[in-house]
Amino acid sequence: MKLTKEMISALKINKPDDMVVYLTTSSVNGNSNTSPQFFTDVYMDEFILMPDLFALKTKINLNENRVGIVTIAHPAEGIKWAFKGPCGHVEWGLPDNYDFQGIKAGDILKKWGEWSEREAFSGLPEEIRPTVIAQRGVIVLKVAECYSFDANDSGKKIL
Amino acid sequence: MAKLTPRMKNWLEGLGAHIGTATKKGFPTVIVIETAKVEGDNIVKFQLSDAQVDQIKQNISENPRVSIGPGGLGCIRAAYQFKGGAKLEGKTLVVEVNEIYCTKPGPEAALRLDVLPYESAVKFESTRWKDTGPPK
Repeated sequence: MKLTKEMISALKINKPDDMVVYLTTSSVNGNSNTSPQFFTDVYMDEFILMPDLFALKTKINLNENRVGIVTIAHPAEGIKWAFKGPCGHVEWGLPDNYDFQGIKAGDILKKWGEWSEREAFSGLPEEIRPTVIAQRGVIVLKVAECYSFDANDSGKKIL
Repeated sequence: MAKLTPRMKNWLEGLGAHIGTATKKGFPTVIVIETAKVEGDNIVKFQLSDAQVDQIKQNISENPRVSIGPGGLGCIRAAYQFKGGAKLEGKTLVVEVNEIYCTKPGPEAALRLDVLPYESAVKFESTRWKDTGPPK
């Protein structure tokens, strides 16, 4: 599902922590996990990308249940989108032709595998900046559904 | 039993939360609530709209486990994740928190805070964050 220009503009790389989201995943038996993601970008207008930085529980969930939801956390004013769809992680060491939902690991890792080359982590405020950068790969969510989380329209499909 | 610190309470009450629920087979749904009320050591109450109740009532009825991240700026500044059991009382979602994690990116990500002595958890956050809640 293609995102709108407004959504792409909000989620693409701009400056550190300009747009912060939560990624919610779940184990196969329903134990959910909601973790903040400080960096996002958009690929082919329908994939939301996030660097894998110590995403321990998220990856455990994605290894057994490949679905996720991205919700916009900050800035919250007027942007109340939730993006849901197949979600996986493209790790360093996978063959270039490894396929996730139609995209290739080589293409993703070549461009986003060293996220700090595209967006300086040093731009983050000190109290949230990782003390060690050890990017393991890229988390990928293919948007299949977009709904509002505005209180009065919660769950109403936008796309 | 988990015990929320004053800082955790202030951020949840000030800016609400993103609440993850899931079916018992692991299909997730997220709602976002802009405020909360913390009662006692570990009870968090969220007032939902009709639409929000409709969105999660099936999930909660078959699987009460929820995950909670502080809302708005709390996503950045209040690096906690709370997990617990939830029930719907009318339009109020009542969560009994029984796990608290640090979500600060880096080597402390996923560190479990509720298993620390309470004084250690307070000291942990006071050495990492200067504020005691969201900006007024």
